[in-house]
Parts: sequence; structure tokens; C-alpha cells
Amino acid sequence: MNSHSQFKNYSVDHFFDEMFIDNEGENPRPHYERIFKRLDSLTESEISERRQQADTSFLEHGITFTVYGEEGGTERIFPFDPIPRVIPESEWSVIERGLRQRIIALNLFLNDIYHEGKIIKDGIIPEEIVRSSKNFRPEMIGFDPPQEVYAHICGTDLIRDDQGNYLVLEDNARCPSGASYLLENREIIKRTFPQTFGGMSVRPVEVYPDLLLRTLEHLSPRKSQKPVCVLLTPGVHNSAYFEHTFLARQMGIEIVEGKDLITIDSFVYMRTTRGLVQVDVIYRRLDDEFLDPLVFRKDSMLGVSGLMDAYLRGHVALANAVGTGVSDDKVTYAYVPEMIKYYLDEDAILQNVPTYLCWRESDRSHVLENLENLVVKAANESGGYGMLIGNQSTAKEREEFARLITSNPREYIAQPIISLSRHPTFCEEGIAGRHVDLRPFILYGEDVEIVPGGLTRVALRKGSLVVNSSQGGGSKDTWVLKDF
Amino acid sequence: MRLYIFHRTSYRYPSPVTQSYNELRLHPLSNDWQKCVSSTISILPICRPKSYLDLNGNIVHYFELAEEHQKLAIEVRSVVETNSRVNFDHFPYGVNMSTLSKMGGVPEYRDYLQSSTFVEINPEVWRTAVDIRANSTDVFQTAFQVMCFIYQNFEYCKSTTTVETHANEVLKIRRGVCQDFVHAALALCRCLGIPARYVSGYFFDSTRDRQMRGSEASHAWLEVMVDGHGWFGLDPTNNRVVDDTYVILGTGRDYRDVAPVTGSYFGPQPSEFEVVVRVKPTDD
Repeated sequence: MNSHSQFKNYSVDHFFDEMFIDNEGENPRPHYERIFKRLDSLTESEISERRQQADTSFLEHGITFTVYGEEGGTERIFPFDPIPRVIPESEWSVIERGLRQRIIALNLFLNDIYHEGKIIKDGIIPEEIVRSSKNFRPEMIGFDPPQEVYAHICGTDLIRDDQGNYLVLEDNARCPSGASYLLENREIIKRTFPQTFGGMSVRPVEVYPDLLLRTLEHLSPRKSQKPVCVLLTPGVHNSAYFEHTFLARQMGIEIVEGKDLITIDSFVYMRTTRGLVQVDVIYRRLDDEFLDPLVFRKDSMLGVSGLMDAYLRGHVALANAVGTGVSDDKVTYAYVPEMIKYYLDEDAILQNVPTYLCWRESDRSHVLENLENLVVKAANESGGYGMLIGNQSTAKEREEFARLITSNPREYIAQPIISLSRHPTFCEEGIAGRHVDLRPFILYGEDVEIVPGGLTRVALRKGSLVVNSSQGGGSKDTWVLKDF
Repeated sequence: MRLYIFHRTSYRYPSPVTQSYNELRLHPLSNDWQKCVSSTISILPICRPKSYLDLNGNIVHYFELAEEHQKLAIEVRSVVETNSRVNFDHFPYGVNMSTLSKMGGVPEYRDYLQSSTFVEINPEVWRTAVDIRANSTDVFQTAFQVMCFIYQNFEYCKSTTTVETHANEVLKIRRGVCQDFVHAALALCRCLGIPARYVSGYFFDSTRDRQMRGSEASHAWLEVMVDGHGWFGLDPTNNRVVDDTYVILGTGRDYRDVAPVTGSYFGPQPSEFEVVVRVKPTDD
């Protein structure tokens, strides 16, 4: 190793490291060799120059997100780490098959619970679990959504354990965010490391907006003409508003708020400067609860009165369908391997993280006795909210969670603390290992399409296991390499 | 080559139907030159198919829907690793037509030398076949000539034939789709004593302009037995020797043995019927 090596102080610390095979951080895995050499050859100043360049690009592009719970709502740049995460094709092809299998099973499950409920009758999943899920929508019972698909856009979070096994952490089948960062990260890395990128056969991700639009158009109830698709946003105060504008622009469709839409005779129209235009497909980035004040929350100012009526009559399509949140429920999550077996007669290709369900008495007592060694999660929260990481918690926090669990066991699950894989990342002290996860985006239109890779999120704080952007996480570009 | 295949078959009925019993031959085979990495079948209304191996070694899934339903959708997604079983520099030439006489005595080839549901051996077909054979004394060369003859003299036309059209009819009108071309080729090969079987499957159109016939659909071709070398695939629809862009679902005497979806139910004819097939390399 040369004296100014960027990796001279790097230590794997016995975690599974994405780049290195050995604990000393000297031998990169074959698919990382070129990136390792390139990084190692850079001087301090060249590196900081590249980081600067990336930061400036993000600022210029206005790529931001909003943090809730802080006064006045704070807009922040989603930090970008320019060291790409690399996945060899041989690994990706397994992930891809696993995700495809999972999304098909989840959609069959959603179809089933809103129709005959065979999986309940056959005793695989208790009815009370399905019915008590916060996002179960009885309005959907007996309804066939367009093309009989429920979750058209799904972001499934994957992590790797200390052996490097990919595990599913959770499914996001309501309104998953992050695809815009995936696209922007790629744009920026091409400029930051043009030669390294160009010299490797990285599978492209730029098709995402096109695939998304095709997915939406596929749902149109009017087959005879070009479908009118719109993106329905809650508005500028939403944490993902940047993404909404970005995707709408990339797809070339209108971005609308609830007040821009109106229902007449059970059809949905968009107000435009040239009069009303009938809408066929709504890519809604708005939770079920806010969609239609006549059916769901009466105080919703964000939705459209009469939208559910138009939807249930088949006059307009919604992506995702109403009621997909049942599959995001972390109690439902625990049953996905059994769903795959039940509906597809296959074993799950991607494993779940072992999960304790607090509504089961035996699980609950185990959880309460071992809070320090577990991660406790609220079954219906997302974004890293409502979570207890046992070994980093105070006695007071644990007490609070014990009380929450006992008073509402259905709403809590617990999992062992997984030491997520780490990836070399630019930090204050130079290049150091930080924990990462992976969110691939799955589209289900005519068929299931998955853009190679996904959004790699990185916990920038040292030792932190929480990668969510709302909790101080950043992101990396993800390269699926064809020839490995 | 690693190929991904999506195959959706859907029906809609004008009024509810019951007692639907169906057999699917949609699961790719694994053999010496093709490995089925995964194949997932999903059905709506929800039901779980069971499977067995039929007499030809094909994987058959079957399911029953007793309850009333007005729609049926069957989706299969497969990943298949393929290798070309023919070396394009060394076609299996050198096996003389005179060796064919002993083929009739081999039990496993007997089915592929006789008439079957859609293929008939008769003097008229034989006369055509002898003309095509001309001076050829080589088995592979002769089969190749049969393929070329069909490709050059038959018109690819989607609306003149049905799934029930017999080879005799096809040889007369010289029109049809891949299934008909294969039936005609089977009749011609079998008349000359070449064991020939029907293959159902898919292929990936790797040509630049995607102009090959039958790429976004269920496809069919034939395989001929070349003694000492094995079965070789010939695609009379596209005039090609089968390579690693082809994926085999099943083989049989003719279409009857390998129809992708067959079944029966109580109720009216479907008002809508749709088949969607997509084939692409997994790293595309």
C-alpha cells in the first residue's frame, strides 16, 4: 500500500463489508477492484473536490426533502456519498427473482383478503390480524382493481447480515419514495467519476420514468385513446415533494393537488386553463386516509370528494390501489414467506428478518424480557419513526416501549438487532465504514419490472443503524455490474 | 443465454362459469442444454395448481375452480438458462438416410414416425417429401431441406387456420402459423422415415429489427432425431436451426400433446381471450 492511501486507516471491524473481503481493508472483492484502485489513487484534495462537485450539483438541482417534527418543517439536502455501491449481476439476478416472487405473492394476498379470503379460511393467517390492520379498507371488499393488481409500485427494503445474506426488512406498498434520488445519484456519479463509470458495464437505471409511465398507462379504463395520467401530490409541504415534481416532469404528466381535480357524474376531471380534461389514471402520492373526504378522513383538505365512487365504478384507476397498506403492516410482513408457499407453492428466495409478533403471548413475554437485545417497531409506522433499538436505548425508553407493547400488543413487533453490512463512505475522518441498506423499486404493470439496483441508503452517523433520510441518512448510487 | 419469460393467458366470460378444470404445459423443461432456474405460476381466482409429469416427460400443472367465476387469468414467469446444443460450425452431417430403416424398431422413436392427431402419413405427403429430398442421402441435410421448403413455399398468415387445423389441410393451402408449419414438416419428415417431434416453447428475437415471426407469442418448432447425435431443432417458421435463443416447454407427437392451456368448464364461450408473451434476456 502506498503511503497516501485513502484506505490506510480503514477497518472492517468484523462487520460484513461490501467492498472488502479481509478485516484489514486491503483486499477488495473482485467487483470492487476498479473502484478501489481509482479511489486509492486520488489525493485528499481531489476527493474533496469531487465531494464539493456532487454537493453543488444537488443544490443546483434542488434535490431536497423535508423533515417533520421540527419547527416550521426543515428542508434539507439528501446527503449523497460519491462512493458507489456495487452489486454483481450474479447476486442481483437472485435478488430480482426474490423480489418478483414476493410482489406476486403480496398482490395475490391483497386480492385474496378483499375477495374470498382463502388464506384465512385455510388457517394460514388469522382473520383478526388482517381485519385489525390499520390500513385494511373494507370499501375494497369484492372490488376488482384495474388489471387486478394492487401494488403497482413497491419499494422493498433489503439489508445484509453479518454473513452477507440479503434479508427483507420491510415492504413499502403504499407510496414508496426514493426513485428520484436513484435517478439523480446516477446522473451525478456519471459526472463525478466519468472514467470509472464509463469503463465498467453498469446496467442502466434511466428507464425508470418510462417504465413507471407505461405501468400507469396500462391501468387506463379508456383503451381507445392515449390515457391521461396525473400525479396527485399532497403539496409543497410533503417530505417528498421534490420527488413528485421530478417524476411528473420526467414522465411528462401533470402534477396536481386535490383542489385541481373534480368529480362529475362519477368521472374525474382535471381543471386546466382550457377547461376540464377527463383523468384516467392517478399516480397518487397521498395516503388512503386523505384521498376522499366523503369516505375517509372528513377533515382531509388534500383529497377529492367523490374520488372513491369514481374509482369503485371503474372510471378512474389509482396507483397504488386503495388498501395496499395491509401488506406494509409489519405483522403481515412476518407471514410473507407463508404466503409465498401458499399461493405459489415455492420457498421464499429472499428471507425475512426473524420477527416476534407481540400479539402472540409467548413471543410477547420473550420480547419484554429481552428488550435490550431487540429492535421493537410499531407495525404501522414508517420512516424510522416509532422504533426502539434495544442496545442503544435508555432504561426509560425501554419502560415506555414495554408499556406500549402491553397496552397494544397487536401494533408491535420485535426483531433481533442485525449488524447491517457496511460500505466505505466519505466521512469527517476520511473514508470509513458505514451501515447501508438497499431499496429496489418494483413496478407491476403488465408484468413485474425492476430497475437494476435501487437506492442504497447509508447511515452517515458513526455506528448508526438507521438509514432513513428523516433520521440523518444519506444515499449512494448503486451499480449492478453485468459481467460479474 | 439467460432468458426471462412472461406468459399471461386470460379469459373473460359473458356470464359466470363453474367447474373449470384446466391443464397447463407452461413450465420450461430442464435438460442437457436448458436449465429452468425458476418458474412461478399464479392464477386468479386464487387457486394452487398441482403437477405431474406426462408420458412425454413434460411438466403438467392442473387445477380446478369449482366456484362461480367470470374471469380467469394464468400467469407464468420463468427464468431459463439456455445453451446452444448445435455447433454451428459442425452440423450433424454424415448420417446416411439408409440408417433410418432401423429407427422404426426403436420403441422410443416409434411414436414420432407414425400418424398422430394432426399429422398423417399418406402417399400424397410421401410424394411431396420425396421431391423435397431430391438427391440427398444425408438425414440432417434432408430435414434441413424440408424446413427450407416450408419456409420458402408457405405463407405466414395468422387468420386462415385454427388450433385444430390438420397437416393435410396445411400442405394443401400452404398457409398458416408456426404450429401449422411444424405439423406439415412433421408429416414430411415422418414420411421419409426421419423421427420427428413437435416442440412447444418460446424464442427471443435477437435480430435488430425484431422482425422474426412468432417472437411475442407461444412458438413451435420440430426436432428430428439424427442417429448417434440426438434431437435437433429446426424452426420452419423462421428457417433457422434452433440455438440458445429458444426455450422448450414440452415435446410430443403434435400440438395435441403439448397445448399450453387446455381445459373444460360449464358455461358460455369466453367473450374475451388474450395471450401475452414477453421474452427477454435477464440482464437486458
